[in-house]
Amino acid sequence: MKIIRVEGLSKNYGTTTALRGVDLEISESEWVSIVGPSGSGKSTLLNILGGLDYPTEGKVFINGTDINSLSEDELAVFRRETIGFVFQQSHLIPYLDATENVMLAQYFHSIPDREEAEEALRRVGLGHRLHHRPSQLSGGEQQRVCIARALINNPSILLADEPTGNLDRKNTRNVLELLKTLHTQEHFTVVLVTHDPYVAEWADRLVHMEDGKVISDEPVSR
Amino acid sequence: MLFNIIKRSFINQKKAMAVMVIAVAVGTAIAASLLSLSMDISSKIAKELRSFGANILVQPKVTALAGIAGQKRYLDEKDLVKVKTIFWRHNILGLVPFLYVEDEVQGVKVVGTWYKQPLKVPGEKKPFETGISNVMPWWQIQGRWPEKNNEILVGADLADRKGLRLNDTVQLLGKEFVVTGIVRTGGKEDNMFVGELSTIQKLSGLTGKVSRVYISALTTPMDDFAYKDPEKMTRKEYEKWYCTGYVTSIAKQVEEVIAGSVARPIWPVAQTEGKVLNRLKLLIYLLTAVSLLSAALGVSTTMIMSLLRRTHEVALMKAIGADRIKTIIIFLTEALIIGLAGGIIGYILSFGISQYIGYQVFGTALKQRFVLLPLSIGASVVIAVLGAYLPIRRALGIKPAVVLKGE
Repeated sequence: MKIIRVEGLSKNYGTTTALRGVDLEISESEWVSIVGPSGSGKSTLLNILGGLDYPTEGKVFINGTDINSLSEDELAVFRRETIGFVFQQSHLIPYLDATENVMLAQYFHSIPDREEAEEALRRVGLGHRLHHRPSQLSGGEQQRVCIARALINNPSILLADEPTGNLDRKNTRNVLELLKTLHTQEHFTVVLVTHDPYVAEWADRLVHMEDGKVISDEPVSR
Repeated sequence: MLFNIIKRSFINQKKAMAVMVIAVAVGTAIAASLLSLSMDISSKIAKELRSFGANILVQPKVTALAGIAGQKRYLDEKDLVKVKTIFWRHNILGLVPFLYVEDEVQGVKVVGTWYKQPLKVPGEKKPFETGISNVMPWWQIQGRWPEKNNEILVGADLADRKGLRLNDTVQLLGKEFVVTGIVRTGGKEDNMFVGELSTIQKLSGLTGKVSRVYISALTTPMDDFAYKDPEKMTRKEYEKWYCTGYVTSIAKQVEEVIAGSVARPIWPVAQTEGKVLNRLKLLIYLLTAVSLLSAALGVSTTMIMSLLRRTHEVALMKAIGADRIKTIIIFLTEALIIGLAGGIIGYILSFGISQYIGYQVFGTALKQRFVLLPLSIGASVVIAVLGAYLPIRRALGIKPAVVLKGE
């Protein structure tokens, strides 16, 4: 079943065109990497898929719902119910500890549950860092907190924008292995934007973008 | 969780939060002090304004027949003390009687009055101080007030005209008087001889009689209701009017206790007082509003600065599912806490400020009013919430896609 369907998606920022008539379909539980050079429109596509931005033209269907027809508050509900975000920079609230950062997503979703949040952190290997502030964690550990936070509400789609962009090779591998394990266990859909071929190859499918268009879309051969 | 977010947010931004609490506290303290002042100002300023002179004039009622016959009528001196028995007796600050007679031989007018006369009020320990000295303190006497029954003052203009000087002797009302002083009153008495009331009463055969009485009373500024005709008021309206310290209602009560009298406000004085008080109050309210507005601007500016530092945080919250209500709740709760803290601190500060203003301006303390506590807290919460309005709007407008862009 197609969980994401994109039809004729275009996005202009003033006179700059970021997306030009993108069509894309992604199946449930699929792991898709979107690759391309800087300015190819891959992050713009991801933001529109996550309801963080609106297209100039075209439609985005998530689970059959046209998300661009949703109001701002309906989009907020859509994000917290359906989407988990992992960004390149580990955007964590600096004055909350690791557990509280995960609980924040629970708070916006429903009711914070400390035990559940701590369990999520243990699953990403941070059982010993539950009460550490972001500044007391390494880059890799911070991204793990972000993954725990993104998955705490059991989203059906994980959108990751250069999640290992700031990590060294060892930490990159660790984060990807963690994502792979969780993906295998929980069967959520992953859409990962990267310009790193090593990261891209962890996917089932590789979508290549250039100049706002999809120029190739093929399975990853292992 | 919300509590945790707010708590940590406060701890994390101690300086910004302190600046906001101080802004609210100072604004509230000034506003509360000014309000406290506005509550006391009527009585304090009215007392000060009493040095402008009497505001009620009591004269004998002229009946139709007496008016036709040109017959002179008088008030009874013994009734004067009764003004201290009316409902607004504590607002009667002073009175002074005048008895005008004419010396037909000399062709001059002579007025008898009190300079300083304590009246014994039944049921009161302290005597009621009356006379020129407290009702018309602007009278300037060169020399001294008559102490003996053969002493008299001469009005400054009359003295000039007649070439009279201190210690000269004059024949008045069939008696020889020594001039003990020359008085300048700014009124018609400058062309008269002025003597002690009892002396003039005796010599003119009008013992116990006075021509008119000037009363100085603390009054409530006249408003639209006060100008209504009491005759046309409903019973309830009349009661309200009667029990409010308007110059008209006090005059009415005076009239009721002095037999055969008609008491009228001296409008130029009464109206000026009302206008001065109303304008002062308006000025205070405007200053109060300005101080509250400044505090709100202070909060707004600081909160916007704080928000600029927290843009990523807000964008992230929105990205992970914070809707408008939850975003508003976070900032509004912060604003409410700032408002509450600022209100309490501001109220405490206002004690000191209002006492300072009281002593500097009036020489006495202003009344401490606990009613201002809820008012201060309410006002400071409003300030903080108003101040938070722009930052909240700005927070709601943050685009996570722009702020969190990783490309």
